[in-house]
Amino acid sequence: MSTMVRITNGWRGRCARAGAALAVSAVAMGAAAPQAFAQEIEFWTQSYGDLIAWQRTMDELTSEFEEQSGIEVNHELVNWSVAFNRWLTVAQGGAAPDCADMFWLHSFSAIGGDEYGPLPINEYRDRWPDLEAQFYEGSLQDVNWNGDFYGIPWRGDVRPLIYRTDYAAEAGLEGAPDTWDELVEHAKAMTVRDDNGNVTRWGFALGPDNVSQAYVPYYWQAGGLFMTEDGRTATIDNEATRTALTFIRDLVWEHEVLNPDFMERGHDPEADFQSGIVAMIGSAPGPTAPTLASDFPELDGKWALAIPAEGPAGRDAYAGSGYFGVLRGSDNVEECVQWLQFLSTPDSMQRLSEASGNVSPMRDVMASDFWSDTEWKKTITETLEHAHTSQHPSPVWNALVSPEPGAVIYDMMYEAVIQQQDLDEVIARAQERMQSEMDRAFVEE
Amino acid sequence: MTLTSAEPLRATSRRGGFARSPAADRLTRFAVIAVTVLALIYILLPVYWMVKSSFQTSFDIRAQPPHWIPREITFQAYKDMGYIIPIWRYILNSIYVSAAAALLATLIGASAAYVLARFRFPLMTLFLVMILATQLIPPITRAFPIYSAIQAAGLLNSYTGIIIAYAGFSLPFSVMLLRGYFMNNCPPDLEEAALVDGCTYFSAFWRIILPISLPGLAAVTIFTFLNAWNDFLWASLLLSQGEMKTVQVGIGDFSAEGGGGRYINLVMAACVTATIPALIMFLFVQRWLVSGLTAGSVK
Amino acid sequence: MERQKRLFCYLMVAPAVIFTFVLGLLPMITSLGWSFLEYDLIRVQQTGTPFVGLENYKEVLSDGRFVRSITNTFLMTGLVIAFAISLGLVLAHVMHSNYRGRAIVRVLICAPWFVPPVVAAAIWMWLLNTDRSPINALLMDMGLIDSNIRFLTDSSTWGPFSVPLLSVTAVRAWNGLPFIVIFILAGLQSIPRDLYEAADVDGGNLWHKFRYVTLPLLKPVLGVLIMLLLITGIGHFEINYIMTGGGPQDLTNVMAVYSYLQAFNFFRFDLASAAGGVILVLTGIICALYIRGQLKNRDDR
Repeated sequence: MSTMVRITNGWRGRCARAGAALAVSAVAMGAAAPQAFAQEIEFWTQSYGDLIAWQRTMDELTSEFEEQSGIEVNHELVNWSVAFNRWLTVAQGGAAPDCADMFWLHSFSAIGGDEYGPLPINEYRDRWPDLEAQFYEGSLQDVNWNGDFYGIPWRGDVRPLIYRTDYAAEAGLEGAPDTWDELVEHAKAMTVRDDNGNVTRWGFALGPDNVSQAYVPYYWQAGGLFMTEDGRTATIDNEATRTALTFIRDLVWEHEVLNPDFMERGHDPEADFQSGIVAMIGSAPGPTAPTLASDFPELDGKWALAIPAEGPAGRDAYAGSGYFGVLRGSDNVEECVQWLQFLSTPDSMQRLSEASGNVSPMRDVMASDFWSDTEWKKTITETLEHAHTSQHPSPVWNALVSPEPGAVIYDMMYEAVIQQQDLDEVIARAQERMQSEMDRAFVEE
Repeated sequence: MTLTSAEPLRATSRRGGFARSPAADRLTRFAVIAVTVLALIYILLPVYWMVKSSFQTSFDIRAQPPHWIPREITFQAYKDMGYIIPIWRYILNSIYVSAAAALLATLIGASAAYVLARFRFPLMTLFLVMILATQLIPPITRAFPIYSAIQAAGLLNSYTGIIIAYAGFSLPFSVMLLRGYFMNNCPPDLEEAALVDGCTYFSAFWRIILPISLPGLAAVTIFTFLNAWNDFLWASLLLSQGEMKTVQVGIGDFSAEGGGGRYINLVMAACVTATIPALIMFLFVQRWLVSGLTAGSVK
Repeated sequence: MERQKRLFCYLMVAPAVIFTFVLGLLPMITSLGWSFLEYDLIRVQQTGTPFVGLENYKEVLSDGRFVRSITNTFLMTGLVIAFAISLGLVLAHVMHSNYRGRAIVRVLICAPWFVPPVVAAAIWMWLLNTDRSPINALLMDMGLIDSNIRFLTDSSTWGPFSVPLLSVTAVRAWNGLPFIVIFILAGLQSIPRDLYEAADVDGGNLWHKFRYVTLPLLKPVLGVLIMLLLITGIGHFEINYIMTGGGPQDLTNVMAVYSYLQAFNFFRFDLASAAGGVILVLTGIICALYIRGQLKNRDDR
């Protein structure tokens, strides 16, 4: 009985909204013929920053949009721990929303082909005439694939270096390391051992718990690139790989400043940093600093960010990204595009960036007060200059850098760093495997 | 059965192998108590850690070396968890889904188990093998086909879909257990008498067999319930969206490995909260559980 | 009458048969089918799923990683069963005896049942994390060890054994313990008391009673239990995956984890299905024995 009541109420609500939507759309579209709009679209985002703040911001944005357009956005939060499997399922024809906060465009569009997954929205591209002027160029690369336009970039995950200033001071150090050599020095100085010679504080951790991602910036800093621009040829059998792997190997075994267990499951440098058993992380993912600032008042003034230390060829910082896009199978593409338009206004982008703590691909947002009111935020903005996109033009990229045994990059690191096998052999093997993985994506006609 | 098993005892004792030895008994008792104490530490350690962490602040949880006893006790996590994890809603979802699946599996399982225990009919071996054989399929290998099937039926992200799935997965176990139960505890004369009295086969089953088999049915229901309650894999595939999530998925979403993750104390508080309903249920039903199993599993 | 009876029988088994067919047999056949196709998610949109015969099986079985995972699977399953059942026998007796506070002890022993397994695995990882382990901290304080035990990461081995393998085994046993204890307890309760009294008269001590009365009478229960644990153990995935992901150096890698990684990390559903196929064959052999036992039970009556 109660279900019946709910259903009829729901219908009445919908009819009322339909009327409103028609009225608004007639105004909004000007001369365009009035279209029958869907009243509801389903929209997913991953979770960011302070979840409560994030949820509240999404609630505000959706209700403002509904007021303005008559389109109801049903927002659903997808937690990061399940996001990947969820999107893999979507790309294979699983339950999909109308539009969403997405990532890994290249892989998911290859998996979904013309049937499922991300939908190109080329015909709506002119809704954003100022895209190039408003957004950083690199971020726009991430929403185009195979010549198609897929949506609006909205977040970056740029990874600076983070270190404990109290430990540095204790060790008589000033500031952050600027080069790889200084990095080794600082890490050695901040490493602490107990009477038995056990390390109780590691001077250094490479990056996030995802070790393959952690490796990537050091390879860039050594001057390497993973593949050719067409995404067809693997290019890791080179001096840069040798340099990066040797550097990491020495951090573990020669300088003994990097935990030899750093490649194992359960190694969590961020938690270790919060516990004070890691003094410095070379490539700290986006949420690291905002989390420390909000959840760990006890550590206030005891940490600082810096641009990653310079390797032989540069100080590239790892940069992840995410975009808002539409999904194949949606019957409400027009409504989704309107929602995307709403989300990509400077005002919305500002609020999204503030609530999530993510850097914004929009220039205005990064120039705002919010991104310059503390030292660490300024450093993040500076690090943007060195941002190097983590997207690669191959659909198998994510399989290559999966942080699990069996993935090419993981195995290469493990054999070279942990097992200390012969570098040349390890690298040659990895190059060969990587090439054959990449060949999967190109079907011989 | 009983006689033959007791035989070795007599045989040995006749050879004079046994001597009254209170000293040996004392030793055995001591060993058992020692093992039990160690085992309880092993069993309760993670439980303690969960409860303890739920009363700590983020910083205190990260303390190094770890604090076995919180420096200060705070209930903040319990106050905050509701903002992030709608735990009560998830608990209700879980109770609903698990209970429905348990009842369904028990009912279907009991019907099948009864005829498979009592009658002989063509194809029955095939049926029995088929039902029992499903037990051997590792969940991993059937995840995607089942996902597709549930989706094709339009039951993705619905309670119905997951209830059917859970009931299906528990069937082999319920059939196995109940078949044993019916064979051991319901003398055939019972329903024969009923049939003579003019009952149909079905009413004999419904009115006579089921009521006297309540302990067995209860045990099977509880097992199925707990299996469904504790499942993560299927719930994360079939019912992963919005408010309908089960406790496992709702909490699992937030649990980072190894005590990492931002909301670790909230997650622990949510776990403690979610543990309570299962615990209360167990307090009430544990007698049934054991007695039902006793009758079913042993001849 | 006979026809009516037969109809009754079919109606009664029909729902169960349909359920198991749709949720068991059908997916199993589908998945087996995939193992003979090329089913690469990256290519499927362009090439579809052509038939490749036994290629996937060849590829999987020539992967040293998978072969090692077979050994690990059986080793871990065996260890879990041996450890959990021995401990279960003791604890079931403790639950069975009469003393004050027994109700509390019963609940405490069953506690792992109520902790969500995903969270339990995460907590165990925390307890066993080399640097952050409170266990290590305690042992250090007590002076029992002078460097942290690397519960989940130590890659030194003695034969097929290693610290991580034993750690994960312990957690899996922890997880399965309540079910095992209750199962054995049920068996204990069905043993007539007079048998023990007879043993008393014969002058048997506790150990003798256990050895000559309890154990023989528990045999059928233990048989069923071991079969169940074997079957679920060989397909076991969650705890291994969450705690170590198969590492370090494949020391805790098991078949189901291998299969999962192929599908979800490397997008190779064909190889995942072939690995699943191997698991099926192996469990099938055990299951065949088990069902034969079940059928024989019936014929005995």
